[in-house]
Amino acid sequence: MAGLYVKPGNKERGWNDPPQFSYGLQTQAGGPKRTPLTKRVAASQDGSPRVPTSETSPGAPPMGPPPLSSKASRPPFVGSCPPSSMEPTNFPVVESEILLEDVLRPLERALEDCRGHTKKQVCDDISRRLALLHEQWAGGKLSMPVKKRMALLVQELSSHQWDAADDIHRSLMVDHVTEVSQWMVGVKRLIAEKRSLSSEEEANEEKSVATAEQNQTVPGIQHDP
Amino acid sequence: MATYLEFIQQNEERDGVRFSWNVWPSSRLEATRMVVPLACILTPLKERPDLPPVQYEPVLCSRPTCKAILNPLCQVDYRAKLWACNFCFQRNQFPPAYAGISEVNQPAELMPQFSTVEYVIQRGAQSPLIFLYVVDTCLEEDDLQALKESLQMSLSLLPPDALVGLITFGRMVQVHELSCEGISKSYVFRGTKDLTAKQIQDMLGLTKPAVPVHPARPAQPQEHPSISSRFLQPIHKIDMNLTDLLGELQRDPWPVPQGKRPLRSTGVALSIAVGLLEGTFPNTGARIMLFIGGPPTQGPGMVVGDELKVPIRSWHDIEKDNARFMKKATKHYEMLANRAAANGHCVDIYACALDQTGLLEMKCCTNLTGGHMVMGDSFNTSLFKQTFQRIFSKDFNGNFRMAFGATLEVKTSRELKVAGAIGPCVSLNVKGPCVSENELGVGGTSQWKICGLDPTSTLGIYFEVVNQHNAPIPQGGRGAIQFVTHYQHSSTQQRIRVTTIARNWADAQSQLKHIEAAFDQEAAAVLMARLGVFRAESEEGPDVLRWLDRQLIRLCQKFGQYTKEDPASFRLSDSFSLYPQFMFHLRRSPFLQVFNNSPDESSYYRHHFARQDLTQSLIMIQPILYSYSFHGPPEPVLLDSSSILADRILLMDTFFQIVIYLGETIAQWQKAGYQDMPEYENFKHLLQAPLDDAQEILHARFPMPRYINTEHGGSQARFLLSKVNPSQTHNNLYAWGQETGAPILTDDVSLQVFMDHLKKLAVSSAC
Repeated sequence: MAGLYVKPGNKERGWNDPPQFSYGLQTQAGGPKRTPLTKRVAASQDGSPRVPTSETSPGAPPMGPPPLSSKASRPPFVGSCPPSSMEPTNFPVVESEILLEDVLRPLERALEDCRGHTKKQVCDDISRRLALLHEQWAGGKLSMPVKKRMALLVQELSSHQWDAADDIHRSLMVDHVTEVSQWMVGVKRLIAEKRSLSSEEEANEEKSVATAEQNQTVPGIQHDP
Repeated sequence: MATYLEFIQQNEERDGVRFSWNVWPSSRLEATRMVVPLACILTPLKERPDLPPVQYEPVLCSRPTCKAILNPLCQVDYRAKLWACNFCFQRNQFPPAYAGISEVNQPAELMPQFSTVEYVIQRGAQSPLIFLYVVDTCLEEDDLQALKESLQMSLSLLPPDALVGLITFGRMVQVHELSCEGISKSYVFRGTKDLTAKQIQDMLGLTKPAVPVHPARPAQPQEHPSISSRFLQPIHKIDMNLTDLLGELQRDPWPVPQGKRPLRSTGVALSIAVGLLEGTFPNTGARIMLFIGGPPTQGPGMVVGDELKVPIRSWHDIEKDNARFMKKATKHYEMLANRAAANGHCVDIYACALDQTGLLEMKCCTNLTGGHMVMGDSFNTSLFKQTFQRIFSKDFNGNFRMAFGATLEVKTSRELKVAGAIGPCVSLNVKGPCVSENELGVGGTSQWKICGLDPTSTLGIYFEVVNQHNAPIPQGGRGAIQFVTHYQHSSTQQRIRVTTIARNWADAQSQLKHIEAAFDQEAAAVLMARLGVFRAESEEGPDVLRWLDRQLIRLCQKFGQYTKEDPASFRLSDSFSLYPQFMFHLRRSPFLQVFNNSPDESSYYRHHFARQDLTQSLIMIQPILYSYSFHGPPEPVLLDSSSILADRILLMDTFFQIVIYLGETIAQWQKAGYQDMPEYENFKHLLQAPLDDAQEILHARFPMPRYINTEHGGSQARFLLSKVNPSQTHNNLYAWGQETGAPILTDDVSLQVFMDHLKKLAVSSAC
């Protein structure tokens, strides 16, 4: 879902700035760990002075190439030709367009759902931010990764996967804060409001199912759930 | 000794404890002759994914002066439902809930593998986490923009019911009233005049609670909603407005004339922050996060004047007593730090600037409260952004790693006393039978407070053996220590982590070999180093080095095998073989050699040294150096110029920097592009291996280190060369030894020469 990448640090502003990990990579529990580098070597105790054998002395013969890889002895790539190597390299790969409407419509619908349940001021605030999102997207100000992840977020929201949607919002705030900070908090709030609305509805449903079951024993009168 | 190394490692994994000695000398006299004190490194909240907390409260010994917690060392009578405290031997009745226990149905805390247990306290209200942002607005435009974005991002990382507040400052200090309504209000204070806590609370319209808050009972926020709501609001209510408020923050509007520094009122801003939290949420876990882009230049706590031509103090200035603001500023921040610590609040400092920002004067704020100190060049760097993000990192259960308001209590069996602790804590001044009169570190107490901590926070705890010489070895032959850490978990639950350990006593006269074999040289090195750095804060540098040297010589005299006056015969057993090297590197480290760094840098390095766990502390003392080549898998090599070879790649980790260095031949091959040729794929792998290992380190380390990728002849190669070759950068300021006549090791030497001198002094009968 969230991209797994490392990008270089800001060498202009920070002396030897370290690389930056994406949210996805940062939150990974850590897969197969390499052996931690924590061992040390004891200094020799015999007292013999160590002659530093550092750099090759000047005037040494010019160095040869590195040792050959053992793979060189195998016949090169026969039979196991990956299909991608067959394509001519200048053939452009077309990515599926992510439509603004596909992202914005579900969000606006979610907002409408919340209107009865949430304070007017909050709804207006969210609506204002969705308008900002619309403006920035239509104005071409949002990058492809942001659009892709928003599409995923909206999918999760529509399937009531609140935690997943929330996680995507967080990954966007961490990895692309400059692009999304103005409106993303509205999306975050929308997810929260939908979540609480939905749990209220579930609680009401349970209650009314319970009363419907109770009332089944009363002959003739059936309550609609 | 393979078995002791395993024993040490198992204990560290299970209990988060490492002792300098794992078999204890049974008398005070013998213990002092061991040179290295009996002490341990404790990580109170060590991450234990395999240890689920128990959902009941601990059972305490009923003796009022003891109150030790039931543990696997206690004798139990399952039939009579009685247990005997292993510390004071009191017989206690089990509470009714334990009626069903038996030999085959033991509660967790009696089982030997549960020497460490975590309890969840059920009673009491759970107060939310509190974050108060204190933001310097005298920043450059793009720095301020980057900081604002980081703060906005953090609102997405905080839990929805956490309380958050905002204070901004420059020439004036603004306390922002957070409301959901349209108009934002703020209270403005002059940055020149300090105010008492009461004045701040009055001016902000905070009325004192009618019921005085008992220190043991956390404040119930829902009891005074009107007080808490205006300046500290829950995220779920305020996030949209606060995002906008942050987005609209401007640079400090006061114009800065040519040749001047901006007027920055950090002292008053921090004072108001401490006073605000003191008045609204005393005794609740809270984090004051101070973001600064330069030194305080105005008001109490100012560290330098506003004239650029007068530079901020250097170590030379301090030595010559030429730092006019230092004492007063330090006093101001110490006062604030102590108040914050008394209230259980921690203070973080995030300082991003090209010049110093006054970390030397402000360091007590982080060091006494357990807050973070982050130092960078700009807020618009990965170093700051990633480090800041990692503060909000979560554990395997989805909870924040940060914890608040911890109290650490240490109990000992009667042959031991507690001499003190060194780490991010303050004393709670709790006297008692366990407290020694001799102080090492923060002493005179058996309880300390750590307001902010996480799973890597580590303290050094020092003990004293009080058994008299020739007194018989205590019955059972083992001494015991219990560590009780009461803290606020990030899920807002109150928890208690209890670790109880025991070690064998031994008579040093007849069983020295056993004691020797159980020496943990790594732990000993870190514990001695912490003592040295602690001393260096108040003593002269040369005196500390002198002391360190003397201890090393004495240790070698006691435990070395040699014939007198014959240096060539000197040998150390395996359990001591690395120790002299650690001391050699410690003497040259930035923790004890300050003149190569600014006072702020030294404060920054020392801050991290005083709180990291053993592995990281050792890396700081003696950086790790690994060599990559075609000749085999990556191997550790000596931190020595002889390890720099043309056909090797070196990876050096100093904790604060990761350096990758390509040997001359490797660099030439890379330039020639061999890594792109398929028949030299192994060269490509060789180049990639250290990069992958470096990435592994960068992935987890807090704070983010600098990352230096260099090669033979590169200008950045100096970072490697300065660490391996002492004669290149070592400062010869301290040319003592001859003047005093004391047996001192000379300074300006390589490891080999250092070892030669050490052996000479150790075998000499003149010492």
